Amino acid sequence: MRNQPVNIQYPSSPLTEESSTQNGGDTPVTGGGGGPSNIHPLPEKLNSPHHKGGWVRGHQKDGGSYDKLMPKYITAGAFARARAAEVSTMLKAVRKVTSSCQLFASLPNHMRRRAMSHNTKRYPRRLRDMANRLREKSLQACSKKKEQTKRQSRKARRRHGNLLLEFNRRQRKNVWLETHIWHAKRFHMVKKWGYCLGDRPTYKCYRPCYRAMSNHCLLQDLSYYCCIELQGEEDKLLASLSQMTSKEAGPTFAAALCISGRRQGSVVLYRAGHYPSQPLGPVTFLWRPRVHGSTHRQLWIWAHPTIKQDLLPELQSVCQCCEAVVPPVVPLVTPAEVIPTPEPERRPENTPEAMQIHRTKRKRNCKDASGPPAKKILGDGKRSPSTPVTWRSNSTGIVINDLTMEIVRYRLIGPQSHSVLAETLEAATDCDPSTLWWPEHCKDESKMNLHRQQVDIFNILKDIYSSGELPSGTVLGLTVDDPRLTLPTKRVKALPCVKQLHMSLMLMLVIQAHAMCLCCVFLSEVDEEKRRELMLRGVPELCCQSFLWERSIRDNVTDNKISEQELNRMRSEVLVPGSRLSPTPLQGRVPILLVHQPGKQVGHEMNSWGAGWDLLLPKGWGMAFWVPLVYRGVRIGGLNMSLKHSQNKASPHFPHDYPDCPAGIRFQEEQEAELLDKFKRRPPAKRTNYIKHGCLAPFRCPWQQLAEEWELITREGREERKRDSQTQTKTGADTVTEVEMTSHPDITVTKPPSRFAVLRNRKSLRLLSGWCRPTTSKGQRPCRVGEVPPLDSSAATSFLTEHGMSLVWVRLSLLSKEDLRLLSNKSDCSSPQEPPHKNHFNSRLKCRKKGSKKLATTSSSDKTEGSGSDLPSASEPNLTSVEDAKSSSETPTDLIFGLWPDPLPSITSHCSRVTLGWVTQGDFSLSAGCGEALGFISVAGLISTLLNQPMEHRGTLLLRNPTSLSYRFAKINIEV
Amino acid sequence: MVRLKARYLLCEINVSDRNHLLRLTDTSISAAVKTTVARIHGDYGRALCSIGFSVKYLNAHTGTVFLRFPKRCYKLLWSALPFITSIETHGQTIPCFLNCVHVGGTIRTCQKFLIRYNTQQLRRMLPKCKNEEEKQQIRKAILNCSLTQGNKEAYDDELESEEDEEE
Repeated sequence: MRNQPVNIQYPSSPLTEESSTQNGGDTPVTGGGGGPSNIHPLPEKLNSPHHKGGWVRGHQKDGGSYDKLMPKYITAGAFARARAAEVSTMLKAVRKVTSSCQLFASLPNHMRRRAMSHNTKRYPRRLRDMANRLREKSLQACSKKKEQTKRQSRKARRRHGNLLLEFNRRQRKNVWLETHIWHAKRFHMVKKWGYCLGDRPTYKCYRPCYRAMSNHCLLQDLSYYCCIELQGEEDKLLASLSQMTSKEAGPTFAAALCISGRRQGSVVLYRAGHYPSQPLGPVTFLWRPRVHGSTHRQLWIWAHPTIKQDLLPELQSVCQCCEAVVPPVVPLVTPAEVIPTPEPERRPENTPEAMQIHRTKRKRNCKDASGPPAKKILGDGKRSPSTPVTWRSNSTGIVINDLTMEIVRYRLIGPQSHSVLAETLEAATDCDPSTLWWPEHCKDESKMNLHRQQVDIFNILKDIYSSGELPSGTVLGLTVDDPRLTLPTKRVKALPCVKQLHMSLMLMLVIQAHAMCLCCVFLSEVDEEKRRELMLRGVPELCCQSFLWERSIRDNVTDNKISEQELNRMRSEVLVPGSRLSPTPLQGRVPILLVHQPGKQVGHEMNSWGAGWDLLLPKGWGMAFWVPLVYRGVRIGGLNMSLKHSQNKASPHFPHDYPDCPAGIRFQEEQEAELLDKFKRRPPAKRTNYIKHGCLAPFRCPWQQLAEEWELITREGREERKRDSQTQTKTGADTVTEVEMTSHPDITVTKPPSRFAVLRNRKSLRLLSGWCRPTTSKGQRPCRVGEVPPLDSSAATSFLTEHGMSLVWVRLSLLSKEDLRLLSNKSDCSSPQEPPHKNHFNSRLKCRKKGSKKLATTSSSDKTEGSGSDLPSASEPNLTSVEDAKSSSETPTDLIFGLWPDPLPSITSHCSRVTLGWVTQGDFSLSAGCGEALGFISVAGLISTLLNQPMEHRGTLLLRNPTSLSYRFAKINIEV
Repeated sequence: MVRLKARYLLCEINVSDRNHLLRLTDTSISAAVKTTVARIHGDYGRALCSIGFSVKYLNAHTGTVFLRFPKRCYKLLWSALPFITSIETHGQTIPCFLNCVHVGGTIRTCQKFLIRYNTQQLRRMLPKCKNEEEKQQIRKAILNCSLTQGNKEAYDDELESEEDEEE
């Protein structure tokens, strides 16, 4: 209790003497006047320490040792002093309030006053001093707290300069795209790959976005894609790059159409010389068209940000570019200054770097306001100015430039994307000579000729019916006016010009004179010819040239951009409000590059679905083009729309569908952690029991284990067959099933060092695709490749020796009811069911709970996701349960109810149907009108399944959700 | 609100040799009380002791003790106190007896009584002094225990130091 006198007694142990002194055991008074040392006339060293505060517990056996501490005699004085000390302590205890509450509460009720602690004069006089002191103390504490959390007023925070500072600060961790603010107001933002990206809009627009993709146009900001520029001699570039690609997996960097610069190409890159293992990921590339026949070429490689960290060192080693060019310290570039001389070695980061310096300076003397005003960060704000972005090789002369965030890339998806572009962009107009880059170019006749040709083609482009009609990957360079000048006052929907033209023609035919009509028809015929030319051949090589390739011009354009504020001021000065600015401002010419994006290229239906254009812009111009595009009635999509786009397009989406790439592995781990976290957030009783559903790894797909197990199965099957061929008893197909029934491979038996790989060999894929297609199938054209060798055991064996450890990427579509009827021919179309599994870990979990009350919830196990479904083959005979064998596995480190603990048992034979692979993403496909899924299947498993299936049912598999027990029939498609 | 009521007994411990007094501890006293109550009143009394009984304060110099008993049964327990003849501490038995000076409902009243009692004792001592030195000492002690300015200051200082600790 507070303020109560403590016991005064001798300590039970002499050792505590020293420590007890400072407590002054004899109640607080001892500190004041009397002092404990005066109580006894004994030597002080005995006296003072003996006043021990607190309770003394325990019995001391050797009581004899106390005698020397004890006083030998007693006097009246000591007696009196002891009494006096006690009295004073008691006095104090009596006078002081024992309750722990404040001064206020110590007053009796009838003396309490309103707002007493605010106005201390309302206290009785005797308490006023104390109240004052308390009040001061509380005020001090308050002010301290206020100082810490003091915030500027909202008005001050929203002031332009301060807002910019704040934005710049927030960009330091994750890079913002130029359209960030626009997106942040409308999208759920996610921090991914070092960028802030819009994931999905906050409004409901799943179907409208799909409709936009298939009917009109969907816009995406893809500026987060990294561009790496390679410069050097053509043959040297090709020689070094060819180590990273293989012709077997499709056209490479050296493809004739691509190398001329007329088309954009795409390849899957591998680590140098490691094909077919160790892929890095898919990239798209673009060659700059040759300039006057020189062999010095420029190549842009566009890669996903997650590939970049692996790709850049690989490129450096391949090109032997280890020498980093140290960025020079550049003086401030005033915006009006022109740098017409091409300096290939100039740092691209000039401006942001300078801006960063500004920013820090500004921060330092923000109160003086003497520093230059903060500037908007353009480009990569995260990179420190000293990081090299250019590497040069002395031996090969190749220069690698990291152009990340230097070029803005917008993607327009949909058949009407060209009309949106045509309506938004307007070819650059001539203007008076000046020091800016465009007027300079206007003087040069050859450059103007080129510009005129490009404009012609751009005008023809308006007339085509759909963006998908053009050859895929077509490139068109162009110089356009500032699109902000032609911004409509209202949001309009861009419509194709083709219909308008025809309508006007009809009208003319009806109304106007005959000769006039002829002229029109003639004109339109000329146009028709040009259009056909464009659709068949694409853009001629000359017109693919763009000034966007030149860094100096890019920087010039970025630096000289008219600010929005300036533009608005000029608009307000126009005589007729709302009319167009008559002399277009000199700075408003922007070189751009239009790159055609191919749509669906594989499969038979919905060809060229999702085709569109990519718009490449110099940095800084992002918002200037974004808003005009949005005003043309496009829909805006986020990351999840690009996933849906590639899913509908039946093309693999980058980090999701590349499980063998380092980025894909990283993605899987992230997804696993995320899904496990989500799973654990549910109360245990409401979680799905994946063990009972027979789903071994619901949050992750153990591809490596799958590939290894199937390799083992096929190897054993081969040995068996050899033995059988000697005894001459069974056919090959029978033995295979037999083997699968009997062999329950233990995972620990073999650990081949080789990693699984995704099959990307075009020839093999074509072969597989032919095999898994039934010969008599409704609504399918006969195979394009006529001479597919029939599938038999020998062909399969030779195929498997080549691709034993491979996975193949497949598309699965669920069968409709009619298909099912055809399939079974009988009245019962019911799909098979998986018998519920038993949870052997239940008892162990219970035991653990009893033993220690703690649940292993904090465990960071790596069991995670898999939007995966099991794909056991349809025609396999049921396998006996093999769980008893493996329930005796080692003690798992952590048990989560409903999830298998870590060493997983055999995957293939876990369920009643043999597992072939997992689905990575699946959904109802709006384009196909049925459920569709994309996933990977073990090649070995697929072939052994196909061998056992009758000819007409080939390629039919079973598909099961991880949360359900019923299997569904699905058709497998391998499209090349 | 229900209040748990208790009675506080202010007792003097009387010993033949005053040096023995300094050996006393609170645990030893409570043990002695408990054993005596058990001896006198049997298990029932021992059980009563186990609930609300405690030694609230002990001054080994003056031999004052505050004993807390539950109000319900304090008379019963009190009746056992005269039977305490010795207290065992540190392996030694100290022959003594307890003299109950005051019974109070709160510690506060006991403290107030103790103040009065002590001053009274000091005043009684004063005329019985044998030499001048002792007289002086006792006078000083009496002055010390009355409320003076010095004491007040000490009190305030203490308050301040407490506040500092809180920070």
